[in-house]
This record gives sequence, structure tokens and C-alpha cells, in this order.
Amino acid sequence: MGIDTQNTAKFVKQRRKDNSWYAFLSVATVLVFLLLWELLAIIGVFPPNKVPAPTDVFRALVFKMTNTGPDGATLQVNILASLQVSLSGLLLATLIGVPLGLLMGWYRSFDRMIRPLFEILRPIPPVAWIPLAILWIGVGLQAKAAIIFLSAFVPCVINSYTGIRQTNPTLINVAKTFGAKDFYIFLHVGVPSAVPMIFAGVRVALANAWGTLVAAEMVAASAGLGYMINMARQFNRIDVIVLGMACIGTLGFLFTWLFGLLERKIVKGRTV
Amino acid sequence: MAKLENQVEHAGDVRQDSTVKKAVNAILPFVSIIILVLIWFIASGYNSRILPSPVAVIQRIGKLLVTPLSGSTLFGHAGISLLRVFISLFFALLLGIPMGILIGWNRTFSATVGTIFELIRPIPSLAWIPLIIVWFGIGELPKIIMVFMAALMPVVVNSYTAIKLLPPLYLDVGRMFNASTDGELLRNVVLPASLPTIFAGVRNATSVGWMVVLAAEMLAAKSGLGFLINRGMESFDVPLIMTGMVLIGVVGALLALATNLIERRLCPWNRGIVSE
Repeated sequence: MGIDTQNTAKFVKQRRKDNSWYAFLSVATVLVFLLLWELLAIIGVFPPNKVPAPTDVFRALVFKMTNTGPDGATLQVNILASLQVSLSGLLLATLIGVPLGLLMGWYRSFDRMIRPLFEILRPIPPVAWIPLAILWIGVGLQAKAAIIFLSAFVPCVINSYTGIRQTNPTLINVAKTFGAKDFYIFLHVGVPSAVPMIFAGVRVALANAWGTLVAAEMVAASAGLGYMINMARQFNRIDVIVLGMACIGTLGFLFTWLFGLLERKIVKGRTV
Repeated sequence: MAKLENQVEHAGDVRQDSTVKKAVNAILPFVSIIILVLIWFIASGYNSRILPSPVAVIQRIGKLLVTPLSGSTLFGHAGISLLRVFISLFFALLLGIPMGILIGWNRTFSATVGTIFELIRPIPSLAWIPLIIVWFGIGELPKIIMVFMAALMPVVVNSYTAIKLLPPLYLDVGRMFNASTDGELLRNVVLPASLPTIFAGVRNATSVGWMVVLAAEMLAAKSGLGFLINRGMESFDVPLIMTGMVLIGVVGALLALATNLIERRLCPWNRGIVSE
């Protein structure tokens, strides 16, 4: 019965043709979307103070590279400020959350003690902490980083916890048979087998941290992308608002992508 | 050795605990809560202006339960916030699930609408708030739209992921049993099979919606739990801030519980689908 090579070849060819057609369709859609937006904005279907044309946004991008108006900092300074805030919050959340989740997953009494606190605090969204963060910590970098920390902390804990709980019992038993101490097993069996889940958790934490940025920078800031958007709203600079959103979206996409590369390098095919 | 035994238990072996250990295990969850409350009491003794004692917060809750603030009592504000979330969620599901299914099912739709969707997806839901304020002002409609935008994303993403993750075998079996039209396949095979993943998206949408409604209310509102927190900050009424936070936590936990219950009723065959 051999494989019908002629038909298979035909099928593969058709498949390839299909794929390139849909790829073309995607690109065309984006172009048509931008063109339509531009046209409608130029004709004046949208009021110009409500919807900027794509070219306006691009002009705002060029403008913001060298000018500090309307928010008092150039785009680069704003991006760096936002990076500083979100990365410090994320780093703190990873450094505290991951070990906490691992310990909770491994030591049952520790789990019983910490879990109620965690479950009480977990349903309160980070945004709701903003007033207390201002009162307790002030309006500097720490308060903003604390809010980001809260948003990134929960997925770090939960995923590390789930990851280490899913350790194969056989591996633990083997280590035990060879006389390993409990803490040794935790470090050399439990933690490594939790790594894929930990990475998945940090990936979610990264998205949360970047997503909370705008809210955190509403607190009080002198620079940052969220601050730029808020100031632009007050000065009615719609082009700068859209530029800020585009920057946040692009950078968020880039980070997720970079993190995915790192993850693939370290986790090596064990992704969850 | 004791810890090793503890580990055996963790690995799933069935073992009898000693009574002492059982007692300790029963007490442990309360120990941490008691310690937290104690620390709270002691810390509030130093500066009760910025950290009121638990008693002050409970009194504030009691007061707000009977005396309305800005026209509503505590439950009234919680109800208003919830109503905003439910209205937005309703429209997000109404539009999001069919849209996600279409993106997952039809390649032309995926290449057009799906591409535009992927383009705006990386923009966090909170980042839409300033733009929506410019477009629609600060009334009731913009709040609904903000929460709608936030809830739409996870619903659409999970719906089309569900369809794309569908084992091709299911479709083949469906076709073999004479599901003649795509509509029939969709209704009898695709939808039931992807329901758990879609519902995981609904669960996400609910929790994200709850967060965004607070953010929206904190910016500009005359009612809702977010308004309470903001009012507390403006009038330096810290017990009021904490009252708001307590209720936000309670309602948030109840929402999570409710979605879990609905999920068990809707798709009892599938537990613990993790989204994201």
C-alpha cells in the first residue's frame, strides 16, 4: 500500500500556498487598519482632539525623543523610570515569592502557618493598596515598587508551590533510599523539578508587573510611561496618550518574548 | 527523622499522625492570624493616625453599615461595584466568546480580526483608562467600557486557545459520525470540549474586572468601593480606606468562589484547568 507521494506533495504544496496567503492577509489587515485610521482621522470623521492619526503618533514619538513637554521628561527618561520601578518590584517579588512558595510546598507545617495569611491578603488587588502605600511609604520609588511587588508576588508563590508539590514521589523515594537528608532532597530534587512551573509563574508576574505600572505611576511620579500618559490626559495631548500606550504595549511584548527565550534556554523543553 | 516522616506523608503515603502532631497542625493556621492581629495592635499603638487598630476598623465598618456615605451604605457601595462588573462581564462574554471561537475556527477571520486583536492585546487593561476618560468622560458608561475592555481580553484569548488546542481526533470522530455541517460540529463537539478552557478565561475576566472597576472608581466616582478608598485618602480617614479594602477582599474572594462553583456545575468532568 505505499504512501501516495503525488497526493502528499500536492497537499504540502496547497498547505504552503495557504500559509503564505494567510500571512499576506495578516500583513494586509494591519496596513489597511492603519490606512483607514489615518484616512478617517484626516478627513475628520473622528474629532482630532479625540483620535490622533497614526502619523500624529509617529510625530509625537520623534518629538518626545528630544523634548520634555508636556510631562517634563523625554521618552527615554520615562521608559527608564518605568523600567526601574517595575523591575525592582518584580525582582523583589521573585526573590521573596519563589522561596516562600517552595518552602510552603515542601514543609507542611510552614504551609499551614503561612497559607491563611496568604489567602486573606490575596483577594485584595494591588490597586487597592495604593492609598495605604502612599500613607506608609510615601510617594517615592519604594511605594510604586511595593504596588508592583504585590501584583507580581502572588503568581510567584502559587506557581512555585504547585511546582514543588508536583515533584515525582519516586524521585523523592530514591533520594531517601540513598540516605539523603530532607533539606538535601528539597534542594536537589524538589527545587529542580519545580523550575518549569516557577518560570511560568515569573512569566505571569512579569506581565502583571508591567500591567500595574500605569496604576502605580498614578500615585505620584516625576517620570515614567504611566505618568506621561496621565499628564498627557491632563494637557489633552491625545497623541502622547496613544504613544504611551503603544510604548507600554511594545515593551511588554518585547519583555515577554525575551523572557520566553531565557526560559527555553534554562528549562530546555520542559515548559509547562 | 521527624522531617523525613513528614515528607513521606507529603509524597502521598497514608500514615497515622500522632495526636500531638494533629493538635499542633490544627492550631498552626490560627497562630499566624493571631500573630498578625497582635502585630497590627502593637503597631497601631505607635501611630494610630496612619495605622488604626483593628477595633477602629471594625467600628468604621459598623458605622458605615448603618450610616450612608455619599448616598449608600457599605453594602450599597459593594453592590454598585459588583453591578458595574456584572454588566461589563455580560457584554464581554456576549462579544468575546463568539469572537474567540471564530478566530480559532476560521483562518480568514484569524488572519484579519485575530491580527488586530493580537496587536492591541499587549496593552495592559489599566493603560486604557486615560484614553477612555478622554473619549467618554467620567460617567457611568466609561467605567463599564473600561471593565469591558479588561474582561474581553482573557475571554477571547482563552476561547480561541481552547479551539486551537482541540485534539483533531475529536473533529475526525465527529465527521465520521456524520456531523454534516460545521455548525453541527461546533455545537456538539467543539463547544463542549473547549468549555473548561473558555470558562478559565471567564474566571480570569472576573478577577481582572474586579481590579479594573476599583481603579476606575478610584479615579472618578461618587459610589463604589473604589470611591470609598479614595474618599478615605482625601479626607485622611484611614479606617475608611481599610474598610474599603476589607470589603474588596471579601467580595473578591466570594467572586472567585462563585466562579469555581459555576465551573463545577457547567463542566464537572474537568477540574483545575489552569489558564494564563
